[in-house]
Amino acid sequence: MVEILDVVLPIISLVVFAVLTIPVFRVIRKTQHRNALAVVWFLTAFAVSGAAVANLTLQYYSLASPPSALPFLNIPLADTPTPELASGFLIDGISVYMAIMFVTVSAVVVVYSVFYVDSSKRPSERYFAIMLLLTASLIGAVFSGDLLTLFIFWEAAAAGSSFLMIYKKDPESLNSTLKYLVMIIIASAFIVFGLSIVYGLTGSLNFWAVRDALMVLPDKTLLIIAFILIATGYAIEAAIVPFHFWMPDAYAAAPSSSAAFLSALIDQGSYYVLIRVLIYILTPPSGGNPGVLNWTFMLAVMAALTMIVGNLFAMIQDNVKRMIANICVADVGYNLVGITSVTALGVTGNLYFFLIGGITTALSFMAIGVFSRYGFRTLEDFSGLGRKMPYVSFALLIAGLSFAGLPFLGGFMAKYLVFTAAIEANMSWLAVVGVLTSVLQVAYILRLVNYMYAKEPKDETPIKEPKKMLIPIFILVAAIIILGTLPQIVFNLIDPVVNQLNQIMLIL
Amino acid sequence: MAYSLLLVFILPALGVPFVYLAGKKSSRAAAFLVALIALANMALLFTTIPTILSSPRHEYIEPYEWITILDSDFTLFVDGISVSLAIITTVLIVVAALFSVNYMEGKKNLPVYYSLLTLLSLGLVGVFITSNLLLFYFCWELMLVPAYFIIGNWGYRDAYRAAFKFFIFTHAGAVFVLLGIGAIYMVTGTTDMFVAQAALVQNIPEIVPWILVSLTAGFAVKMAVVPVHMWLPDAHSEAPSPMSALLSGVIISAGAYAILRLSLGMVFPAVMDASFGSFGMDFMHGLAVFGVLSAFFGSLIALVETDIKRIIAYSSIAHMGYVMFGLSLFPTSTVAGVITITAAITGTVLHLVNHAVSKGLLFLSAGAIMHQTEIRDIREMGGLAGKMPFTAVASFTAALSIAGTPPFACFISEFLIFVGAFEVIQNDGFFLLPTALMLIATVISLAYSLRYLSHVFLGKEKPEGEKKIVDVPTCMKVAMGVLVVFVIVLGFWPRFFIDLINTVQFL
Repeated sequence: MVEILDVVLPIISLVVFAVLTIPVFRVIRKTQHRNALAVVWFLTAFAVSGAAVANLTLQYYSLASPPSALPFLNIPLADTPTPELASGFLIDGISVYMAIMFVTVSAVVVVYSVFYVDSSKRPSERYFAIMLLLTASLIGAVFSGDLLTLFIFWEAAAAGSSFLMIYKKDPESLNSTLKYLVMIIIASAFIVFGLSIVYGLTGSLNFWAVRDALMVLPDKTLLIIAFILIATGYAIEAAIVPFHFWMPDAYAAAPSSSAAFLSALIDQGSYYVLIRVLIYILTPPSGGNPGVLNWTFMLAVMAALTMIVGNLFAMIQDNVKRMIANICVADVGYNLVGITSVTALGVTGNLYFFLIGGITTALSFMAIGVFSRYGFRTLEDFSGLGRKMPYVSFALLIAGLSFAGLPFLGGFMAKYLVFTAAIEANMSWLAVVGVLTSVLQVAYILRLVNYMYAKEPKDETPIKEPKKMLIPIFILVAAIIILGTLPQIVFNLIDPVVNQLNQIMLIL
Repeated sequence: MAYSLLLVFILPALGVPFVYLAGKKSSRAAAFLVALIALANMALLFTTIPTILSSPRHEYIEPYEWITILDSDFTLFVDGISVSLAIITTVLIVVAALFSVNYMEGKKNLPVYYSLLTLLSLGLVGVFITSNLLLFYFCWELMLVPAYFIIGNWGYRDAYRAAFKFFIFTHAGAVFVLLGIGAIYMVTGTTDMFVAQAALVQNIPEIVPWILVSLTAGFAVKMAVVPVHMWLPDAHSEAPSPMSALLSGVIISAGAYAILRLSLGMVFPAVMDASFGSFGMDFMHGLAVFGVLSAFFGSLIALVETDIKRIIAYSSIAHMGYVMFGLSLFPTSTVAGVITITAAITGTVLHLVNHAVSKGLLFLSAGAIMHQTEIRDIREMGGLAGKMPFTAVASFTAALSIAGTPPFACFISEFLIFVGAFEVIQNDGFFLLPTALMLIATVISLAYSLRYLSHVFLGKEKPEGEKKIVDVPTCMKVAMGVLVVFVIVLGFWPRFFIDLINTVQFL
C-alpha cells in the first residue's frame, strides 16, 4: 500500500536539503575544495530524493491492481468515505515518469550551476536552494490529484523561477523578470477565476470528479468560459503564441544556468499541466466518445502559430542566446502538436519530447554559458570558435542538430512521433507546417554552424576550456545520442502511461 | 555468417574513435584504417551472397529488436540489388581513403576528416542494407552531416556555401521522404517496407498517389534530377576530390536506389489499381520526361563548361537522367501477380554500379590533375598525357566509359537500358520519342568526353614554364588503378552483377 508519506518524501527531502543548503554552504565555503563539496552535497540531495521517487515507482508498479477501477492511485489527505472526491495526491504513469525526469535532469543542471555561478560569492547558496525548492514544487505539481493542489504547486514553481532569472540584478534582467512576474500574476488570476467557475459547475476540484461531472453537463456555455480562462492562463505560462513575449526576454537576460534550468524543467512542467488539464480532464471527443470539450482545432492553430513565430524570430536573431530562447518558443509549438493530436502516439511523442527537448535546450544554454564567460554573444563573436573551443562547440553543434531533428539524435525521434501523431489525428496540415518550419530551423542552425566552423577566428589566442563544466555538458551530449539511437529505453517508461491513457479514453 | 550485416553497421560506428586516435599519430594510418574497415565490410557483404543466391526469396535478412512501440525493428536486409550497390560503395570508400593519403597531405585537422569519412561510410552502406523505413531514413540523413563538414572544411573556394546549399536542398528533400514514411506508417501501421508493400496492395488507401509523389520528389532531390539539381554542380565541384567521387558515385546513386526500392518497388504496385485510372502510367511518363530533360541539360552544359570538375558534375546530372529514364521503364503490370525484373531495370541498376566506378575514377583523375597542376580551367591545360601518363590512362578509361563506348563498363548498362526501352515501346508508344532523344543524348556525352580529354591531355603542352609537372604519387596511382581495373573488368564481364540483380523479384 502506498502511503501519503511515500508520495511527499521526494518533495520534503528536497525542501529539507534546500533549507540546509544555507548553513552547509557557510561551512563549505571555508574549505579549499568548495566546488567539489558543493557537488557532493547536491548529488546527495538528488540521490535521496531520487531514491524516494524510485521507491514510489516500484511500489506503484508492484501493486497487482490499483485499488479503484481507475488506472491511477488516489492518495487523499484525509480519510473520507469517497476518496476520489477528496483533494490530495495521485500517482499514475505520467506523474511517475515526469518525477523521474525532473530529478535526473535537475541534478545535471544543478551540478553545472555550481561551476557556472561562482559559489564563493554570498547569495549563491540561495540560488542553489531555490533550484532545489523549484524541483520539489515541480514534483509536487506532477503528483497533485486535484486542480487546487496542482495550482498551488505549479504557481510556486512558476513564480519562484523569477528568483533564478533576476540573479544577475542588472537592469535588463530586472526588466524581463518584472515582465515575467506580471504575466504570471495575470495568468494565475485567469486560472483562479476559471477554477472557481469549474467548482461552481461541479462542486469538486478533484480531477476525476470534475471530469465525470463535466461529461454529463447539459449546458456547456459556462464551461467554455471557464475553459477559455484556464487555457489562457496556462497558455501564458507555457509561452504559447500570442502570449510568448516574456520567454525570449527572460531566458536571454537570465544567467545561462538559470535559462538551462527554466527551459529543461519549468517549461516541461508547463507542458505537463497542459496535458493533465486538456487531455485527462477536458478530454476532447474521439471515436464514438462524446468527450468533454472539443478544443483541438483552436489549439492546433495556436500550435502552428507558435512553431512559425518561434522559428521566424529565432531566424532573425543576432544574439545566439536569444536565438536559442526563441527555439524554446518553437519547441512549445512542437509539443503542442503532440498534445493536440490526443492520440497514444502523440502523448508518447510528447513525453519523449519533454525529456529530449529539455535536455537539448539545457545543453545549448549550458554550452552558451561557457561561451559567454569569454564574452562571446553574437553570431559574429562565434566566428571560428569551432577551432578555438572544439569541445563546447561540438556540444552546441549536437544540440543544434538535435533541435533541427537530424536522425541519431534525440530531436529526430521526438519530432517524428509528434508529426506522425498529427497525421494520425487527421491534421496533416499541422504536420506539414511542422515539417516546413523544421527545414527553416535547419537553415538558421546551419548559419550558426557556418559561423562556428567556416569563418576565420578573430584572433589566434588559444582559449582553455573549463574542464569541470564540460562534464555535465558531455553527460547531456551522450544522453542525446544514446536516447536518439535507442529510444526504446525511454519508451519502456512511457508504455504504461499510454496504456493507462487508452484505458481512460475507454472509460469515457 | 550470422551477424554479417550487424557487423557492417557496427564496425564503422565503433571505428570512428579509433580512426580519430590513429589520425592523431599519423594521418596515413587513419586512411589505411578507414580502408581496412571498408574492406572488412566488403568481405562481410560477400558472405551474404551465397544465401541470396540459394534462398527461395533470394534475400538475406537479420532482424533485431529496436523500437517496439512503433513496431519498428532494426531489420538488416540485402538482396541482389542492394548487395551489388553496397559492395560497390565499399569499393569506392576504400579508393577514396587511399586517394586521400596523398591528396589531403598537409591539410589541417586530418584526424577529423578521416573520422567523418568513417561516419559517412556508415550512412552510405547503411542506406542499402536495411528494409526498415525508419532505419533507412536514419542512414539517409547520416549521409548528410559528415558530407556537409567534409565539403565545407576541406573543399575549394567558397566551400561552406556549396555545402550549405547541398545540406538545405537535400534536407528539404528528405523532409518529403519523412512525410511519405509517416503516411505509410499511418495507413499500414508498419515501417517494414515489405510488410508495407503487401498491406498497401491489399488495402489500397486513397492517399497512395500522394505518398508516391512525395517520396519520389524527395529522392529526386538527392538524385539531382533537373529541376532540383541546383545543389549538385556546386557541391561536387567544390568538394575535395575523394569526396566528389563518393558524392557522384554513391550519394546520388542512393537517391536512384531509393526511388527503385521504395517509390517503385513498395508504393507503385498499389497505384496500378484501376481506381486511380491512368495515374500509374502518367507517373512513369513523367519520370521519363524528367530523365530526358536531365540528360540533355547535363550533357549540354558539360559541353560548354570550362571548369574541370564542373564538367564532370554536369555529366553526373546527365547520367542520373539515364537512370531516371531507366527507372521510368519499370514494369507497370504484373505477370501472374509477380513483377519480374526486366532488362531495363537490370540495366538501370547495373548503370548505377558502372557509373559509380567510372565517375569515381573520373573525379579522382581530375583531382589528380588539379593536385599536380594547381589549375582547374581546362583551357589552360593541354598535352598533359606526356607528363602524367598514368593519370591520362585513367582519365581516358573513365571518360570513354562515361561516354558509353565499348568495351568499357557503362556501355553494357546503357545498352541494356535501351534494349529494355525497345521492349516497352511495343506496349506503350509514348516511350518512342524519349528513347530516340536519349540516343541523341549519348552522342552529346561522347562529344563532351572527347572535348574534355583533348583539352586536357592532347595538343600543345600547357601550362608552360617554371613549374615541373610530374605524375601522381603511389597511393593515388593505386586508388585509380583499382578503379581502372573495375571499369574494364565490368565492361567485359558484367555477369557477376547481372546475375545478382536478376535474382530480385518485386512484389
